[in-house]
Amino acid sequence: MDIKDDILSRAYISLFVIIGICLFIIGKAAFIQQSQGKYWRNLNETLHQKTDTIIAERGTIFSEDGKMLSTSIPEFDIYIDFAAEGLRAEKGKKFYKNIDSLSIELNDLFGDYTAMEYRKILVGEYKKKTRYFQFKKHINYTEFKALNTFHLVKLGRNTSGFIVEVKNRRLNPYGNLAFRTIGLARDSFKVGLELSYDSLLKGISGTRTVRYIAGGVAVPVEDAIETETQNGKDIVTTIDVLTQEITENALHEMLFKNQAQYGCAVVMETKTGKIKAIANLGLDSAALLKSFNEKSEYREIKNYALYATEPGSTFKLATMITLLDDGKIKTTTPVDLQGGLWQFAPNATVTDAEAHGRGLVSAEEAFELSSNVGMAKMIWNNYANNPSAYINKLHSLRMDTVSGIDLVGERKPIFHKPGTRGWERTTLPWMAHGYNVSVTPLQTLTLYNAVANNGKMMKPYLVSSVRNEGVTVKEFQPTVLNEKICNDSALAAVRKCMIGVCHSSFGTAKKLFLNNPYLVAGKTGTSFVVDNKIRYSDKIYQSSFAGFFPADNPQYTCIVIVVNKASSPMHFGAEVAGPVFKEIADRLYTTYVKNSRSNQDIKYKNDAEAVSYNGYKEDAKYVLNKVNVKYQDNAGLASDWVATNINSKALQFNTLNTQKQSMPQLKGMNLKDAVFLCEEMGLKVVAKGKGKVKDQSIIEGAKISFGQVINIGLN
Amino acid sequence: MFKRTTDIMFSELPQLKDSGSALLAKAKGDRFIWGIVILLSLISILVVYSATGSLAYKKYHGNTEFFLFKQVAFSCVGLLVIYFLHQVNYSFFSRLATYFIIAAVPLLIYTWLFGAKINDGSRWLKIPIINLTIQTSDFARLALFMYLAKVLSKKQEVIKDFKQGFLPIITPVILICGFIFPANLSNAMLTGATALLIMYIGRVSIKHILLTIGVAMIPIALIVAVAIVTYNGNQAETDKPAVAEKIKSFGRFGTWVKRVQDFRYATDSAAPYQRQQANIAIANGSILFGVGPGNSTASNYLPQAYNDFIFAIIIEEYGLLGGAFILFIYVLFLYRCIRIYKKFPYAFGAFLALGLSFTLVIQALANMAVSVGWVPVTGVTLPLVSMGGSSYLFTCASIGIILSVGRNVEKLEGATTPVVPKVEPVVQPV
Repeated sequence: MDIKDDILSRAYISLFVIIGICLFIIGKAAFIQQSQGKYWRNLNETLHQKTDTIIAERGTIFSEDGKMLSTSIPEFDIYIDFAAEGLRAEKGKKFYKNIDSLSIELNDLFGDYTAMEYRKILVGEYKKKTRYFQFKKHINYTEFKALNTFHLVKLGRNTSGFIVEVKNRRLNPYGNLAFRTIGLARDSFKVGLELSYDSLLKGISGTRTVRYIAGGVAVPVEDAIETETQNGKDIVTTIDVLTQEITENALHEMLFKNQAQYGCAVVMETKTGKIKAIANLGLDSAALLKSFNEKSEYREIKNYALYATEPGSTFKLATMITLLDDGKIKTTTPVDLQGGLWQFAPNATVTDAEAHGRGLVSAEEAFELSSNVGMAKMIWNNYANNPSAYINKLHSLRMDTVSGIDLVGERKPIFHKPGTRGWERTTLPWMAHGYNVSVTPLQTLTLYNAVANNGKMMKPYLVSSVRNEGVTVKEFQPTVLNEKICNDSALAAVRKCMIGVCHSSFGTAKKLFLNNPYLVAGKTGTSFVVDNKIRYSDKIYQSSFAGFFPADNPQYTCIVIVVNKASSPMHFGAEVAGPVFKEIADRLYTTYVKNSRSNQDIKYKNDAEAVSYNGYKEDAKYVLNKVNVKYQDNAGLASDWVATNINSKALQFNTLNTQKQSMPQLKGMNLKDAVFLCEEMGLKVVAKGKGKVKDQSIIEGAKISFGQVINIGLN
Repeated sequence: MFKRTTDIMFSELPQLKDSGSALLAKAKGDRFIWGIVILLSLISILVVYSATGSLAYKKYHGNTEFFLFKQVAFSCVGLLVIYFLHQVNYSFFSRLATYFIIAAVPLLIYTWLFGAKINDGSRWLKIPIINLTIQTSDFARLALFMYLAKVLSKKQEVIKDFKQGFLPIITPVILICGFIFPANLSNAMLTGATALLIMYIGRVSIKHILLTIGVAMIPIALIVAVAIVTYNGNQAETDKPAVAEKIKSFGRFGTWVKRVQDFRYATDSAAPYQRQQANIAIANGSILFGVGPGNSTASNYLPQAYNDFIFAIIIEEYGLLGGAFILFIYVLFLYRCIRIYKKFPYAFGAFLALGLSFTLVIQALANMAVSVGWVPVTGVTLPLVSMGGSSYLFTCASIGIILSVGRNVEKLEGATTPVVPKVEPVVQPV
């Protein structure tokens, strides 16, 4: 064998060894793939795949007129992982290279620290290798987008260590407006509509499987089990922002003026039971201790409308209805008020709130005078032997049960029944004038509304429809709680009594509604506040007023409750709660009631002969100059808006009244001009038809408020 | 008899000019090897493109085509290198071998002291003008195996003699491996082992070879011993024991110890990240088919997926069958090179073809053995397949040299008179 062959055979031996190694390699690969494969593939999924929860967007709460009362906006929390691999690579080369530019950019964006301070903070944490440094919380989308373009941050999560957590923050665009009723939507604490309609608002969170690839980018895995995210539904409330504002302002003014502790005012639409406004304002415990309170310290803290208290005189309506409906009395039935003092038992004297010095009066007058003695006596005389009849009647008026409003947290009334432990000898006469019983303002309102609504008791409600992606998916209709609370004659009698309270010579609220252009039916209330902290001797009065207007054609029912400070000189219902009621009623009457009435009366005649142009003067001049028509400018330089008139042969321009705060005449204008004028004054225009303005829902010269809706018809 | 004018015989027709391009016509040497080179280049372009997705995303903001074009460019340059080298008369490499080996030692020392550090090891030398970092050990290895071919062919008569045969052969090996060693232990071991195999094939005394192995094992045994002694259960991953910390001060000693520990103590769940990811890649494929070209997901996480672990990605995308095919190609390459040896009458050329081909295939095996977890992570590339770099070009140089020898085989087979190399003496049969 020669050398070459020897070498060749050695080369072949080596070749076979190499083939052997090849087989081993393939064998090992096959082992990993076939016998351990499952383990590695699972590991792959656990290492790189993650099930992400996509939090459903919470629905928005709208007012009846489509304004956002509560909505969700995304918010970003930024954390930094200073131990991120890319950040520490090469002894932090990238970190130190970018830190100066980043600090300057951060200062530009946030401005809360100087660039040097930012640098100091970041370098300090970098040296400590903090893993989850809370850098910025609650930054908004614009800031977040800007932040993403900054040095270091733009290198991605793995290099920069910047971690983003997206959260949805609840925003109330109208701030304090009906805040407690709209509610809170914190994770751990919800109240109000946010709680009541939480299941609808929150939606259903979905999941998806994502795989993380380079740069921390998550890519959805196909074919993985996913559950679709269903965003929360929107709810449309019955609350009308303008009414709410009116109500809240009126209440706020009075609370501040009288240094009251708290108060609430609720406005209900008579025919439907819709709550159009619900205002609750109070001082928190810290503000209560101060002698002088800032106006801004009154906030929506508690939904007082849902808390049961001793109602006082407003409860006399229930007593009166009972007596009249059961035929026990007539409005003319006499009752001796004994000057306002009635020694019922050795330790129990019924006292009238106001010293009137009257003796024998009719039942109606007793009601108008708000005489505790009169009520107590009439009930005692008629029901002493059969108190259950009175209690049963109150039951049919639903005074012993919650109103059933769609708001979680409504407190149960305290209502004693004969034969139970709470029932004493004094209970019956005291209940008659609103003591020894606790009802919520909302219950009282519901009862007053039933009287306004011809005896039909409507359930108060706050949500009129549920919408999904702008489409109404559910509508809530008015619910009747009691078709007829009493017979018609009793109803008429009790309404007469209520009107008497406001307009007759005896009425407790007669001064308030002196020369009122529309009729009001109502009842004042003044009562001592007693609870586990406050005693009668503290002389804390609750002033209240409940009623409806216009009394001849009731549109709205409203209740106002104000709890005054101790020994407040002004504490009578007619003095404190009454003016709030009147302010609300006046504003609502001019805005909604009066105009809808007057609109019905306006008749338009078609004017074929004279073409009238109402609108912007320069436009009119331009057109007339073009067609060579002579005109006479009576408006002068004072006004840009004119109405045209054909006087003998000349065309005249007359000034059109376009003062702010009062409604101009839109008739004869084209839509463009009308919309321009209205929107300039802060009105919202709803237009129907084509051509020129034919009618307008807010009449000429009426006082207007910002955000009010005007309907205009075109012909 | 036919009249000559009636018809024309084919043989009378003028010869056609070569229809292929002039370059292809001139490409000589073993056609199989050419085919293998082109096939591997194409596979390389596919796999590298797929495996660099994540790297491209990080470095080039999602411009994933960057590495595709880079690899295509490297393939073209590589083919040109092969083409030009295979045109060189192989005997020229004999002289070059001596110069190279003389140049290699100072270069290695320079790199060791001043070289650029990539992945913690100073293995790289930056060439100023073309801005290419080259791994000096690649150059040193090429020089060493060229030189070995030269000495082995010269010393065949005295090959079994320690002083005259063994020492001149082992000296350059020890020199080169010794200087690669501080920067790159695994490369030094691989080079040494390959050299020993070539020496075995070149008929060096087995006794001498075993002696060399024995001596070489001493430092390796030391590392393994330190690795075992200083291994500290759970804390090994995070806290380095004080002893290991101290030992680490000796150059890259700490890294070696860590790698041995990683390999030896790795349980499935606590395997080093690269190992885990490579296993996941392999597990993602199946026997016959993988997930398909470009569908690799493991390459997003597997560090060096386009380089040290490219074989794992090949199995992921093309299945075990694809992996086996790559192995088959390398074996075929080796077989064709042995064939060159067999047919080539001159010793240096024959040894050149043999030595360089074994080097490449052993490197390939080492890379694939790392990919499947047979040996610890070493950092060798898969010749012609891993992403282009200096090692890619050195691989092409090796193949060019082999083909240069192959070209002479063709000449010998075609020509009646053998082309006698100018310098090389004919090996005398013993």
